[in-house]
Amino acid sequence: MKKFNLLKSAIIAVLLGVVCFAFTAAPERITVKGSDTLVILAQKWAEVYMKSNSSASIQVTGGGSGVGISALINGATDIANASRKMKNTEKEKLKARYNTLGVEVACAKDGITIYLNAASKVKELTVDQLGKIFRGEITNWKELGGDDQSIKLYGRENSSGTYVFFQENVVKGDYATSCQTLPGTAAVVNAVKKDTYGIGYGGAAYAEGISICKVKKDANSPAFAATAETIKTGDYPITRYLYMYLRNRPTGEMKKYIDWILSPEGQKLVVDMGYFPVK
Amino acid sequence: MKKLKTLLFLFVSLLALNLSAQEQNQAEKISELNEKVNGLLERAATSESDLAKLTKIKVSGYIQAQYQNFESPALLAKSQNYFSLRRVRVKFTYEALDGVKFVVQPDFSPGNISLKDAYAIVNDHWTKTFSLWAGKFNRPNYEVEYSSSQRELTERSLVIRTLYPGERAIGAKLEYNPLKVPLHMQLAIFNGNDGLTIANSAGTNLNAADNIDYDNFKDIMARVTYNITLGSFGGLDLGAHGYFGAAKSNALKTLSSDYTTVSDIKFGDRVSRNWLGGEFQLFADVLGGLSLKGEYLAGKNATIGYAPVAASGTVAAIPGVANFQNNFAGGYLYLIKNLGKKNQFAFRYDYYDPNTDIKGNQVKVKGFTTTDATKLANKMSGKGDLATSTFGFALHHYFDDNIRITACYEIVQNEKVGAAGLLTEDYVQADGQKVAKGLDYSKVVPANVFTLRIQAKF
Repeated sequence: MKKFNLLKSAIIAVLLGVVCFAFTAAPERITVKGSDTLVILAQKWAEVYMKSNSSASIQVTGGGSGVGISALINGATDIANASRKMKNTEKEKLKARYNTLGVEVACAKDGITIYLNAASKVKELTVDQLGKIFRGEITNWKELGGDDQSIKLYGRENSSGTYVFFQENVVKGDYATSCQTLPGTAAVVNAVKKDTYGIGYGGAAYAEGISICKVKKDANSPAFAATAETIKTGDYPITRYLYMYLRNRPTGEMKKYIDWILSPEGQKLVVDMGYFPVK
Repeated sequence: MKKLKTLLFLFVSLLALNLSAQEQNQAEKISELNEKVNGLLERAATSESDLAKLTKIKVSGYIQAQYQNFESPALLAKSQNYFSLRRVRVKFTYEALDGVKFVVQPDFSPGNISLKDAYAIVNDHWTKTFSLWAGKFNRPNYEVEYSSSQRELTERSLVIRTLYPGERAIGAKLEYNPLKVPLHMQLAIFNGNDGLTIANSAGTNLNAADNIDYDNFKDIMARVTYNITLGSFGGLDLGAHGYFGAAKSNALKTLSSDYTTVSDIKFGDRVSRNWLGGEFQLFADVLGGLSLKGEYLAGKNATIGYAPVAASGTVAAIPGVANFQNNFAGGYLYLIKNLGKKNQFAFRYDYYDPNTDIKGNQVKVKGFTTTDATKLANKMSGKGDLATSTFGFALHHYFDDNIRITACYEIVQNEKVGAAGLLTEDYVQADGQKVAKGLDYSKVVPANVFTLRIQAKF
């Protein structure tokens, strides 16, 4: 009986050994999905990288940070772009499905910009005022030095990392029910562009044809617009990193691509596209 | 000329009147349209508000359909292989406000619906670190809280299934999740007897009322876990949990785990059930990702007996059964390895010894033999004291985001008794013939199981 047990144990050990040393082959085509804030930069990275690396195939789509992270957990994408950090619940799901904690790569910086209509009389707001506006506690521009008109709120859907980051760091509560949710930062900018009394938020790279509201940490602080300098110095109060999440440590083509994104060449594109470099 | 002027004047006046009437009509129409638009806007706002409420409801669930083949001869007369629905569950989560959540999860099976989860969670708004749970929910333990839709082997390990039957319990729980420390603490209070069978002399389960406690004793559970990040290698989660509970005695005697001591006890006295467990989960980003997970539990469990029933008030009509307190130990060790993005392999060694005071070769040999006045029925050690080891192998294929196909084979091995014929069981063959003493526990009694399962999750 002992011999039998020994044989059985040996078979089990060999089987486990074989399985353990089977590893994942690097994907031939890299798929990138997630943050809408990051999508135009990610597409530019892919386009420029593929021009100089003809064998590389990179497919980039948006959908929002939450969508990208879900796709990473489900194995539907290789890289998840996110404009917020992964939540603990998402990490637990990744652990359960792929037995890893994921790899976080900070690839750019962004200042969440407050969009106002070009005709707006309001030029600066404190973080506290922004919180009150988006919680629905301040509802009229008159209270902020503007016209006696209702404030129209425009924001992102809850699958957006920007939505989550803005909620956690500025709104600090539930968004007002009157806040109209739109499927993308470009849509928020467009809505504010057309609405004299509108206000929205989103990535700095999208801020075109609207008035950028300066933001103050508190009533006694100076107001800053999101620029490379104010983000680098930390003066602009609503600053965040933009991330790429991977299931495993990158190897092969994936590693080359990530290294290139973090190289001076990749980071130059960050600046060209209106974002801010990580270094 | 005068007439012409008058006519012209009249014509212009009429025209002006007509224009004025038209303008008035247009203004009325605009006003009407404005009212309509305002009405539509109001209705749209109401609909949007209603839709916003609907987005707070999340529906998820899963279905597990499976084919199983059991190698147990004890099932020969019944079905040794069959298709079954293991789980059909739909979970409704309603997040009423930021930090307030309600969860209801019914479990469907052919011909039956039962309530698996029903609880409310309230998160504290001030420190954002505490949350209070109330209702029916999973007991705080790693394998219990790990959803069976994610679990790598088809069933939980035997020790967990034994200690936490049905996984859920009714009670309240306080969770502490500090924002900046990777620590997770849970402190729960439960009725404590959920899923246990406490039979009386007639064989009726006194604990059959799922919603009401069998006794006044409440059980306490605590679990602490801490996550350590190991840089780019991965992470290690360490944890411990404890169960401190009791059940009401329904007997007048309590038998010790080694079958040597019978002590007196009163009806309604505490029969304690206490144990501790330690756990770890190592996640390593090597060779495409693998994890090792283990847990060890040991302590004292209890089975509640009953007192003999006296017929005509004089003679004990049937023998009573003493409460039994068994010292147990058990645990499991998983090795899980991803094979590419679509496949996963899992191995589990699972061990449970329901009575650490009685070794296999002591069963039926060195037992409790004293003839007791109460005529205790379970005075001899037996099958229930034998340990079980299970080696499980599973291969999963993730067909897409929602579908998982699993093939699992479990090799089940019982602890052996000292001599052939010492502990045996009869079984009935497929042709109806009874094989007396056909299952001999001095050998491994076949009990291996093959499962092929398809799971759809949404």
